[in-house]
Amino acid sequence: MRDTPLSNCERDFLLKAIQEKKRLDGRQTYDYRSIKISFGTDYGCCFVDLGKTRIMAQVSCELITPKENRPNEGLIFFNIELSPMASPAFEMGRQSELLVKLNRQLERCLRNSKCIDTESLCVVSGEKVWQIRVDVHLLNHDGNLMDAASIAAIAALCHFRRPDVGIQGEEVTVYSTEERDPIPLSIYHMPICVSFSFFQQGTYLLVDPCEREERVMDGLLMIAMNKHREICSIQSSGGIMLLKDQVLRCSKIASVKVSEITELINKALENDKKARKTGGKFGFAESLPQERITALKTDVSPVEMSDVKEKANEIVQRAEVPPQTVPSPVLTAPGTGQVGEGLENSWGLKEEEEEEEEEEDETVELKMELEEGHEEKGRGDVVVISDSDSEEEDVVILNQVTTKEKASISNQQGAVASKQQQQQQKKKKKKRGQ
Amino acid sequence: MAKDQMTLPTFRKQVSLSPSLSALDGKDLVVPGDVITSDTGFMRGHGTYMDEEKLTASVAGEVERVNKLVCVRPLRTRFNGEVGDVVVGRITEVQQKRWKVETNSRLDSVLLLSSVNLPGGELRRRSAEDELTMRDYLQEGDLISAEVQSVFSDGALSLHTRSLKYGKLGQGVLVQLSPSLIKRQKTHFHNLPCGASIILGNNGFVWLYPAPGQQDEEAGGYYTSLEPVSLSDREVISRLRNCLLALGAHKVLLYDTSVLYCYESSLPHQIKDILKPEVMEEIVMVTRQKLVEQEG
Repeated sequence: MRDTPLSNCERDFLLKAIQEKKRLDGRQTYDYRSIKISFGTDYGCCFVDLGKTRIMAQVSCELITPKENRPNEGLIFFNIELSPMASPAFEMGRQSELLVKLNRQLERCLRNSKCIDTESLCVVSGEKVWQIRVDVHLLNHDGNLMDAASIAAIAALCHFRRPDVGIQGEEVTVYSTEERDPIPLSIYHMPICVSFSFFQQGTYLLVDPCEREERVMDGLLMIAMNKHREICSIQSSGGIMLLKDQVLRCSKIASVKVSEITELINKALENDKKARKTGGKFGFAESLPQERITALKTDVSPVEMSDVKEKANEIVQRAEVPPQTVPSPVLTAPGTGQVGEGLENSWGLKEEEEEEEEEEDETVELKMELEEGHEEKGRGDVVVISDSDSEEEDVVILNQVTTKEKASISNQQGAVASKQQQQQQKKKKKKRGQ
Repeated sequence: MAKDQMTLPTFRKQVSLSPSLSALDGKDLVVPGDVITSDTGFMRGHGTYMDEEKLTASVAGEVERVNKLVCVRPLRTRFNGEVGDVVVGRITEVQQKRWKVETNSRLDSVLLLSSVNLPGGELRRRSAEDELTMRDYLQEGDLISAEVQSVFSDGALSLHTRSLKYGKLGQGVLVQLSPSLIKRQKTHFHNLPCGASIILGNNGFVWLYPAPGQQDEEAGGYYTSLEPVSLSDREVISRLRNCLLALGAHKVLLYDTSVLYCYESSLPHQIKDILKPEVMEEIVMVTRQKLVEQEG
């Protein structure tokens, strides 16, 4: 199916906004979207979320005969698939230009940079070597597929464990996961792609374009680097003319971004390793606790907090004194149901017990007051609350507990205080009722 | 993989959750993978497939049965046009004697040159010059309102703008929603009392524009006034647009009354606040209450 065409108004709007250094989602020019990396229960399965772009990479291995001109090197095979669930424009089985471009770039980035030691994949020279196969599936297309694909591929390769192999003379035994622990691949460095999109013939530059921005861009520059500031591959598409200092600037930005992303991948790998070692839960199902099917969920967005204090002070100064209001406008006449409202029960039972309790509480409370007279100020809150216009009469003062040192006593205090409140209000009610 | 759990599809019995949903008692809602029936006597229609002798649904929607034919009508789908539907579409291509219009359906709709009103009167033979000057009337990227004249055998729609109320759309705001949210009514052109006009296209595209005022109808509907719209009009239209997005997010059926109620209940809030989830919920709740009250 053909993709919805971009209207002229949207195109003009996007270009004008970029001229004014504004982006659709509020990012800065060099900002990446939030990256989330999670691993599956199997070794070598990795999900990467770059904003809304979602990619899955799966690594698997197999023993095959090596190439004739390279008898002691293993093979790595990359395969990217554009699933139709990513975008209505993608069709199953159709070899589109985008697909070919992504495949070539991923191969150049990971295979030609020799980030994986292929000689360690050799089992019997000339006869059996490991073939590592990396399948990358695109699940949602929201721009910048190359970056996400490279992150997913390298994270999956770092996460992957191949079965251990034992050689005794001529016999080769491949141990299963239960017999011997699988061993990780030997990876020298982690090359990561960073994409730069250019607008207005190279005048404006944006890092990590989203899908809308990709539609209006003039050209794309992809730089694959590792954290040791070695460039693994550069590709410029779209036919734009770039100046030398532009490319140099982009490579500097790329090195900063790559080190950040490499750290993120390492942290994710560490977390996963820890979770597996301690026997904790790992895998996709556990990494999705927060995601519920809520249609109106918005992401956590940063809030400008620098001038909150001044604003709050201004508001407080300008605000009027709240009017004196009754805690509850409901006047309970005697005989009406007062169940659950904390008022005096009108059932006529257990009156004696209540009176006793009242006396006890008051004496206990007096003792508490004497002991901790200095905390009266803190309890000043209690008095304020009873005059507030909150409709709840049982104001359980829980937060006072945390601020006090003697937690148990203050707990009692709190309970006592709230009970005192109730009695105060009961008395008030009685006065008003009569 | 041993730790992953798979849920097998089960036939779900219809449960009436509350009195307000009792109207849905007759309808069977299914999700992809649900078994509709194990009886082999039925013919399978759209939205179903055979899975080991059991008829299973492949889309999420309601089951329709006509004698022996069972099909599932999806809740969220591309626009399937019928004759007489009013659509709002965007010109994507200018071809030899027709325009291709994008209307949120599976195939681009077709607007033939003979189906439009040319300036200078209706009954004029389309000459070769008309063909060459097609681009003067409608270009790529223009928005039009049109009516479905017929449906081709492959499902593509043939549109026409042979009435003065259809034609090129001028200044306004387009909101793209799901086609299933638009209620079918007698007329889809409304002049809302709040000061804006709305076209509820059956294909889910809703067009908001400032009220025409004292304008006389121009010939052919291709005159677009480029006079600046006043700020108050623009505010009304922005508020309406946000209200439409709120209603769309909560899957409320859209027609002139519901849009108007939503507008009224959103007045206490600022226009940009309407897009916040909690404010959206509040506004839609008030709108729903008003609609229920109105029904009696």
